[in-house]
Amino acid sequence: MNYLMDTSNEKTILVVEDERPLLEAIKRKLELNGFSVVTARSTEQAYSYIEDIGKIDAVWLDHYLLGKESGLDFVARCKAEGSGCKDIPIYVVSNTASADKVQSYLRFGITKYFVKAEHRLDEMIKEIRLHLETGKE
Amino acid sequence: MIKNKPVENEHMDLRWVKARADAVLESLGEGLVVVDKEGKILLLNRTAGEMTGWRPDEVTGEKFLEDVLPKENEAGERIQFKKSILQEVLKGKKITINALTPYWMVRRDGTRFPISITVSPVSIDGDVIGAVEVFRDISKEHELETAKNEFISLASHQLRTPLSTVSWYTEMLLAGDVGEITEEQKRYLGEIYVGNNRMINLVNALLNVSRIETSTIFIGNEPVDVAKVIDDVLSELEPLIEEKKHTIDKHYKDKKIPILRADKSIIHIIIQNLILNAVKYTGENGTITIDLESKQGLTLIVKDTGYGIQKNQQNQIFTKLFRADNIQGIVTDGTGLGLYMVKKILEKLGGKIWFESEENKGSTFYVNWPASGMREQRGTTHLISGQS
Repeated sequence: MNYLMDTSNEKTILVVEDERPLLEAIKRKLELNGFSVVTARSTEQAYSYIEDIGKIDAVWLDHYLLGKESGLDFVARCKAEGSGCKDIPIYVVSNTASADKVQSYLRFGITKYFVKAEHRLDEMIKEIRLHLETGKE
Repeated sequence: MIKNKPVENEHMDLRWVKARADAVLESLGEGLVVVDKEGKILLLNRTAGEMTGWRPDEVTGEKFLEDVLPKENEAGERIQFKKSILQEVLKGKKITINALTPYWMVRRDGTRFPISITVSPVSIDGDVIGAVEVFRDISKEHELETAKNEFISLASHQLRTPLSTVSWYTEMLLAGDVGEITEEQKRYLGEIYVGNNRMINLVNALLNVSRIETSTIFIGNEPVDVAKVIDDVLSELEPLIEEKKHTIDKHYKDKKIPILRADKSIIHIIIQNLILNAVKYTGENGTITIDLESKQGLTLIVKDTGYGIQKNQQNQIFTKLFRADNIQGIVTDGTGLGLYMVKKILEKLGGKIWFESEENKGSTFYVNWPASGMREQRGTTHLISGQS
């Protein structure tokens, strides 16, 4: 059996990021690490992916996005009672690290907040993988 | 006739004194209020009236200063004039509230403007009989300060996005994610990566400084194991310490260190700055001694065998953007912001920093945290840990 061909265990991550170059790098690096990736640049796109694809294992989310809504609006809607994505872990990766924003995100129940410029991609992906596999942060 | 002359002169003198005082008070560009020991207004000059919307004759006599000219902090909370200011002044102290942490004066119509204030005691023959408050409208300074800080904050945020792009793409090239690279290419990319990281640290330092200066920083209050924080910082700095072949003497190791009530991330930043400085400003094979003393609060001692600071520049070491002459050719990646930031933040927390230094022998830096712990502050921003 060829394990490389077996994609049934592959996790799907929805990356929501408005900056195209960053989005491309994140997607590539996640794919190289064995994740399947879908990308969105606005919350609207993100919602429709969640509705259409269904099987999303985690969300990688930026704060400022294209369109009217920010990452915080997305989290508020996603983590609300009865929402289809309530149990999907969300990792916020943003350069806007004011304490009140970080607090708001954490209150809504995101899994982790990374300050973008402070972390290497491989570091964050390692943490996300560990968390998805073991439930540990 | 001759007898009356001196009396008349005395009257003349008193009238002259009064006229002179009135002229000074009326032409003064600052608001001025005199109160008695209870805080009742005895005198209010024209400028104070014009600034706040009151006529001096309406408020002098029976009215209390804190009712007529209420003051607030930035968040809009009332300042208890009698309790927190007047009582101190009656003990003979002079109180100054400057433009860096201004109060707001509330006008008769409910609108407000930022002020700097000085309140001083008024005494006769050594007995304090009241106080005089002088205040100035600092709206212009305040606007400039706010604009400056907003600019720094915005610019720093905007700078971080392209910095992230450079950082992540370089990381991927170095990792061979898009194909193998030669050793020489690897070295070149390594330089880009290091240079970019320096820029990230500089932007973080600027952001931190602007946050401290705007007082928007959040200072928490939690139990902190300072010895553990030192260990964490040392393990972060391990690659640099190894590269410079320094010996680290951990004198605090066999001591029982009390738990400090403070903000852990801020303690981390302070310790990180001091140890990083010791490592950076000590030539190869140096010794860095770290100790904790739990007398009068907790004192951190970081001693190095480094380049030291020359005597004639020691008074400038905490100045923003200052870098000593003797290290400018040796250590090129200093920002001149680290110690400035540490000092500012300690002033806010109620802590102290001082040092001893001799050129070419080394420096010893001391930081003292009061036993009562750090002052809490409910701000909106956090400081960013990083090497400034």
